[in-house]
Amino acid sequence: MKNFLIILIMKIFYFILKICGKKGGNLLGKIAYDWNPNIFSYFKVNCPVIAVTATNGKTMTNNAIAYTLKMAGKKVISNTEGNNMETGILSTILKHCTLSGKIKADFLVFEVDESYVPVIFEEFNLDTLVVLDFFRDQLDRNGEVESLILRINEFLKTYNGNLVLNNDDPNVARLGKANPENNHIYYFSVEKYKYASKNIKEAGEGKFCPFCNSRIEYQYYQYSHIGKFKCPNCSYGENEIYKLATDVNLKNRTFKVDDIPYQIRFNSIYNVYNFVAVISCVSLYNINTKIIQEALAKFVLNNGRLEEVEIKGVSTIINLAKNPTGANVSLRILNEDDEEKELLFVLNDNIADGLDVSWIWDINFDTLNHVSRIITAGTRAYDIAIRIKTSGFDQDKIEPYLNLNEAVKNLYKTNTKKYIIANYTSLQPTRHALGL
Amino acid sequence: MKELRILYLYPDILELYGDFGNIQVLQYRLEQRGIKSTVVPYSIGDTHPDFNDYDLVFAGGGADQEQGILAEDLLKYKDNIKKAIKNGVFFLLICGSYQLFGKYYKGVEGNIIPGLEIFNYYTEALADRKKRCIGNIVINTNLNGKETKIIGFENHGGQTFNIDTPFGNVLFGNGNKFGDKTEGFFLDNVIATYLHGPLLSKNPELTDYIIKHCLDRKYNDDFILEPLNDEFEKKCRKQLLDRFLTN
Ligand SMILES: [Zn+2]
Repeated sequence: MKNFLIILIMKIFYFILKICGKKGGNLLGKIAYDWNPNIFSYFKVNCPVIAVTATNGKTMTNNAIAYTLKMAGKKVISNTEGNNMETGILSTILKHCTLSGKIKADFLVFEVDESYVPVIFEEFNLDTLVVLDFFRDQLDRNGEVESLILRINEFLKTYNGNLVLNNDDPNVARLGKANPENNHIYYFSVEKYKYASKNIKEAGEGKFCPFCNSRIEYQYYQYSHIGKFKCPNCSYGENEIYKLATDVNLKNRTFKVDDIPYQIRFNSIYNVYNFVAVISCVSLYNINTKIIQEALAKFVLNNGRLEEVEIKGVSTIINLAKNPTGANVSLRILNEDDEEKELLFVLNDNIADGLDVSWIWDINFDTLNHVSRIITAGTRAYDIAIRIKTSGFDQDKIEPYLNLNEAVKNLYKTNTKKYIIANYTSLQPTRHALGL
Repeated sequence: MKELRILYLYPDILELYGDFGNIQVLQYRLEQRGIKSTVVPYSIGDTHPDFNDYDLVFAGGGADQEQGILAEDLLKYKDNIKKAIKNGVFFLLICGSYQLFGKYYKGVEGNIIPGLEIFNYYTEALADRKKRCIGNIVINTNLNGKETKIIGFENHGGQTFNIDTPFGNVLFGNGNKFGDKTEGFFLDNVIATYLHGPLLSKNPELTDYIIKHCLDRKYNDDFILEPLNDEFEKKCRKQLLDRFLTN
């Protein structure tokens, strides 16, 4: 079928969906892609394309980049709904292009699922790629983390655009060596923060140098395997830093980059990394510092990513956790809070979650700070209850419910502050059960 | 105070799929009964352990690249390990380490990673890297004469052949190969299996079988283990067995 016809039909279809109050998700892209898998090369893009990929933090970082560029007065098209596979990105483009495939914007900003980076940008001219981190995530679908990194590395061998890399993740920093000809590599880093540790607290990846197989040495760990590392043998890890966050104060939610203070709405070390990536990325396009400051001070996500709400008058913090790192970040925030609280952990094992729930054993539940009760729910409510019990938390203070509504009802029997951790497919049902 | 000593092999390399949870479950069930547990990690570069000094040896699975690095290291202990197995030290081997105790592992490109050759089975990778045995699995095994269902999660590309004494019969899932009838390898004091989950988290009877085996041998006695509050485990097993076995 002719491409303009595909686009026309999709536009009519999208119009109908909108009338029905639906967003469409990946659907438009899926149909178009089935009709012509080469449709990507039909689009005419005359503006910079920015992509963000990672295991964790894609949505946060992508949306903050788009938000900042918009605040600078740019026209931005972005998949801020988190549809990050090829069909999701295609859907976003289809909604915004002309019939001849022209896209009128100042920037395209996409979060891209880590396994789709090589697929999507083979045809599509990428200006800046931001890579945040690689953790174990949905191993079912991607195979081992290593093969995923190798595929992106292979793609980067012939890539000459900007590459913004987290210098504190050995799995990411190595990508800077994929193409020695590329002199647009920008490393970001975060100075040691208050809760950094000498030893690793949470399970991680990447213990051996990918270039010489020596064991990597760490000066300190910020969280999980993110920290100051280097290879003692070949000095891998020692790079010139483009943007470094200093003076991190999570209590006040502030940090500095190039001596310029930033205020953010989030309170975890992991978000500081996301925002330094944002600052690195938009600085490449000469966005005014004042605008970046203002954008980061206002930026929030109301979709269960560290969402702070009041429910029945009780302070509640909800966070998505697709993997151990996400859950550990939530528990870090919980443990840095000295108030008494209760935890709800919702765990599903649907296909989109990855059928394997063994990752919950990589969550650090040791020495929970002032947690008086834990409720578990989801299709794997008992698995997570067993996990928490085995870590030493009193079994009598754990209540598992397969039924989510029952779990929520019992959670709000008390007025104690709530922390809620939900994995991928359980997040929206949980928000729904909470009345959000 | 009674004590079990556990040697934990390559905890920093063989650490995929939460296999460390097996150690946590063992320690939990020992501590609840007032039995001390000492876990000694061993990895590349540490002083050489004597496997006979331990009651239980545990090893998990790892990423392919890292597995090659440690196969070489493990070969140094071949004779010592053989002796320990003969002496009755219990070995619990999951996934990658299961494969390493066999004759060899043949990779996708035809490359051979030599195993310890302690047992006669061998493993071959499927030509298609993307094809893996992945999913929930239930097997039926016999623990001291008692039929017991074991619930776990398998995720392996390797197909293991030449097993005379499997860990169990497959009721749901794949097993040693795609669509196989049997899973793992089982001798009195050796359980080698593809089951993650972690394996021991949903199978308290298996955990207690291992604990009893180790205690009986060490103290030359016939222990009756004090029952624990397994309410969550029982509910979990009922829920999952209903879900997997009744379709
Ligand atoms: Zn090196």
